[in-house]
Amino acid sequence: MRRLSTIRSFEDSMKKTIRLAATLMAAASVLSAQAKTVATGPGATLITNATVLTVTKGTLKNTDVLIQNGKIAQIGPHLVAPAGATVIDATGKFLMPGIIDPHTHLMSDAVNEGSLSVTSMVRIQDVLNPTAVNIYRELAGGVTTVTILHGSANTIGGQNATVKLKYGGSASDMLFPGAPPTLKFALGENVTRKNSSQIAMPGQTVARRYPASRMGQEEVLRDAFTRARDYKATIDEYKARVAKGEKNLVPPRRDLELEPLVEVLEGTRLARVHGYRADEMLMMLNLADDFGFKVKALEHGLEGYKIASEIAKHGADVTSFADSWSYKIEAYDAIPYNAAILMRHGVVTTLNSDSDERGRRLNIDAAKLMRYGGLTEDEALATITINGAKTLGVQDKVGSIEVGKDADLSLWNNHPLSVYANVDKTFIDGKEYFDRQKDIAQRDQKARERAELEKADANQAPANRRAVQPVLPQEER
Amino acid sequence: MATSLRHATAVVAVGLCCTAPLDAQLASPRSVPATYAITNARLVPVSSPVIEKGTIVVRDGLIVAIGATVVVPGDARVIDGTGLTVYPGLIDAYGSLGVPNAPAAGGGGGGRGGGGGGAAAIASGGAAANSNYPAGLQPEVSVTTLLKSDDEAFSGPTSAGITTALTGTGSGIFQGQSAVINLAGADVNAMVVKAAVSQNIGFSPLRGGYPSSLMGVFAALRQQLLDAQHYRDVKVAYDKNPRGMQRPEFDPSLEALQPVLARTQPVILYASTQREIERALDLAKEFTLRPIIAGGGEAHLMAARLKAENVPVLLTLNFPRRTAAPSADADPDPIRVLKERVDAPKNAGRLAQAGVKFAFQSGGLSSWADFTANVQRAVDNGLSADAAVKALTLQSAEILGVSDRLGSLETGKIANLTITRGDLLDRGRVTQLFIDGKPVAVRTPAAGAGGGAATATGAWTVTVTLDGVDLATTMSLRQEGTRLLGSMQGSLGIAELQNGTIGTDGELRFTVTVTLKEGTEEATFIGTLDGNAVHGRMAIVGHSPGSFSGTRPQRAGGPPSGGAPRTPPGAR
Repeated sequence: MRRLSTIRSFEDSMKKTIRLAATLMAAASVLSAQAKTVATGPGATLITNATVLTVTKGTLKNTDVLIQNGKIAQIGPHLVAPAGATVIDATGKFLMPGIIDPHTHLMSDAVNEGSLSVTSMVRIQDVLNPTAVNIYRELAGGVTTVTILHGSANTIGGQNATVKLKYGGSASDMLFPGAPPTLKFALGENVTRKNSSQIAMPGQTVARRYPASRMGQEEVLRDAFTRARDYKATIDEYKARVAKGEKNLVPPRRDLELEPLVEVLEGTRLARVHGYRADEMLMMLNLADDFGFKVKALEHGLEGYKIASEIAKHGADVTSFADSWSYKIEAYDAIPYNAAILMRHGVVTTLNSDSDERGRRLNIDAAKLMRYGGLTEDEALATITINGAKTLGVQDKVGSIEVGKDADLSLWNNHPLSVYANVDKTFIDGKEYFDRQKDIAQRDQKARERAELEKADANQAPANRRAVQPVLPQEER
Repeated sequence: MATSLRHATAVVAVGLCCTAPLDAQLASPRSVPATYAITNARLVPVSSPVIEKGTIVVRDGLIVAIGATVVVPGDARVIDGTGLTVYPGLIDAYGSLGVPNAPAAGGGGGGRGGGGGGAAAIASGGAAANSNYPAGLQPEVSVTTLLKSDDEAFSGPTSAGITTALTGTGSGIFQGQSAVINLAGADVNAMVVKAAVSQNIGFSPLRGGYPSSLMGVFAALRQQLLDAQHYRDVKVAYDKNPRGMQRPEFDPSLEALQPVLARTQPVILYASTQREIERALDLAKEFTLRPIIAGGGEAHLMAARLKAENVPVLLTLNFPRRTAAPSADADPDPIRVLKERVDAPKNAGRLAQAGVKFAFQSGGLSSWADFTANVQRAVDNGLSADAAVKALTLQSAEILGVSDRLGSLETGKIANLTITRGDLLDRGRVTQLFIDGKPVAVRTPAAGAGGGAATATGAWTVTVTLDGVDLATTMSLRQEGTRLLGSMQGSLGIAELQNGTIGTDGELRFTVTVTLKEGTEEATFIGTLDGNAVHGRMAIVGHSPGSFSGTRPQRAGGPPSGGAPRTPPGAR
């Protein structure tokens, strides 16, 4: 037990490498051979005879994947199921890594804190809604990991949350262990338009919020990072005096607005920057160079193709759309070749949903990149798996089917880049979170339960209120 | 006039005979004796076994004797309690009783704002002079400065047998210092049993400034608590050696948070759903506060953690129910939601079983008659009757830190008595109260458990005009105090309202995720409610400002609160 707990805490360590993990898995399987009753726990699952889309190591036909202790333990033909393991016959089916949506607004009770231009103190983590039914819908689309971002109403938004979609648990259970913290920035129209759409009631005046232009956005950023640098100097000075042994010092006031910006400057918090136009994105990259930090990812980056070399040189990733354009002025120059061009320039490129539900269709978006940009199958799949893992800073744990990685997997009845593909099962950390057959099987029972509950007095609408006439949607939903 | 004549006759009758009907004896408008003895009554002391037939003597506002064989003092006005049961005065453990125009229930709306709603909130919530913080983030505000003695407003709760209440300003995030008050007194200050009982915290965003979202609320709370810690550390250092150190500026808000940080004052956090409770507990843990959860609609889902962390719950008796017929094209209510409504009366029993300490609160009931009726429903659904009475009295007093003076029939405690004919929890009728040893007549209850003139509850048909296009949608709204809850469904998609607030003047505001052609966006609605009409403007980042207007097909009153219709107690 002592050895096992050591292994577990070791596995929790952020800096674990795949090689080390593989060694540990080997150690675990040695343990299992010695003491079968201990190691063949309920976690073991063997998926047999699947077409395995590893993404990083090519496509393996007629291959088995063994899941143990929440990790991918073995990959290969004709694996032997440990005693007590669940065996899933995946003949004719496709196994791929769980889809990663690097930019969503899923399961969040708030999107924007738009009252101020700098709201780096707010955290999406504080407002997660683990009961949102869309989580289940995403699982049904094979999605297992997402980052929920603050909105783009202001220049410096809030702290984002990276979660695994372990539906049924509490919000804290779902946070991705060891995922690097991130911070949202936003450029362009959403920030300036927030001004024009500030609503004043009759007789009320609402102060227009600075900045109203892209110039102003740069100034807000430079001002904030300058303040953060000063704050860091204050903290560093205090730490130095403590180190020198000075007594009776009062620690400086903690500033929750500037702390995350200091972390960005120090490289421990990843900057995720919403940008559409080439000029604003270039501004941000230059500004980051001036302050000595890296932009981790440009969000949407619709005109990224115009500055692909510059983005590659800075080392920023881009989380793009497949084919959304012209829905606002700054989106007029968007093209469906964007992601492919960026990838050909060596930029880590992903697709995102920017939504609370569209993540479940990211496989189709990835397929579009083959149609338009001529990407290979693996490249297209990478935009919704391993590349997302890199952008989120969790590529050691998820994003591909490799021994030692978390068993976050989705099993499809067809090739996932086909429009005919449906998800049969979705696993996170080796646990099944979606099963199409189980879902279908329990629909009758759920309907009966619902009918019974609907009869209860508390679920009756008051008699004096008529049923609302249904309003037919004016557009396809 | 007829009533007072009848009372006058009764007073004469009392003079002639030693016993007379109870209410007639007590209704004398003239000299009020200081000593009463209720004889031959069934006494429920709560702290000790029931006395089937006994006497309780109160003098100068205190209980001076209780037992089966108590000698009635010579100067006592004797009341024949045959057929009556005497309980400790019932406590409504959370709300804003005695605060004019306060929200009826809930976490409270924002405190700040340029508009009329904001001003009204300030008027009710109180803005402290010389504060460094905006209204709504002023923990130094004391509810005692806002109290009004209002017999009319208290007739509802007293008709339900309530003698005592925890009251807070009911608005803002840091809502200030609450107080335990008796619902009668010669003047406002005489009502106060204990001031600065708790710091109440709500999670509704402020109106018209930071924080404008739930995220911001948490960040603002966190920063202010950190600032209070820093303020404390600087002050300690300065007081130790002021020479050579710049004097720290006095800050009344951070000063007021010191008892909270020192855990000498509990924080009452308004949290209803499982995730709201989890967030509230996480915040309390982060700053090692002494939390009490108010609301607690889904508290049973958090029972294990509440028990483990020894957190009491002030449980609402305003059981949820569907307020509007569902729309055919909408996502149906999740089974979880349907179940929560049905299971609401089981909540108390489940908490009791899990060993979580709880008290009851009215929670903005639309009818005070439902207060004890819904306790009865909790008893029908697994709570023992003894535990129910205890939750209404002694346990409530314990949670609120006043069990040394209230909550049970014991000598030396404040003479707050609730007297019923029949058992309180078995269709018994509240006939009479004593508050601070003085008889209080029970009247027909006024409707509604709180203020709030405008009510948005109901189903609304709304047209949203965005970028020149009319989009039809329906909104199912529910108002709880200044909180506005509900959902929207139609051509803008289906979504729950977020951060909804509504002022007493009908000014409302909420954000909601809307589904447009290009994806989902967050829309902010600001409007005015006027009877069955609502209109206002809507903003979506990246779009020209839109507008909306809507109607409620049929007039809807306040949210019905469950319980079977009953004869209002107290009307003789």
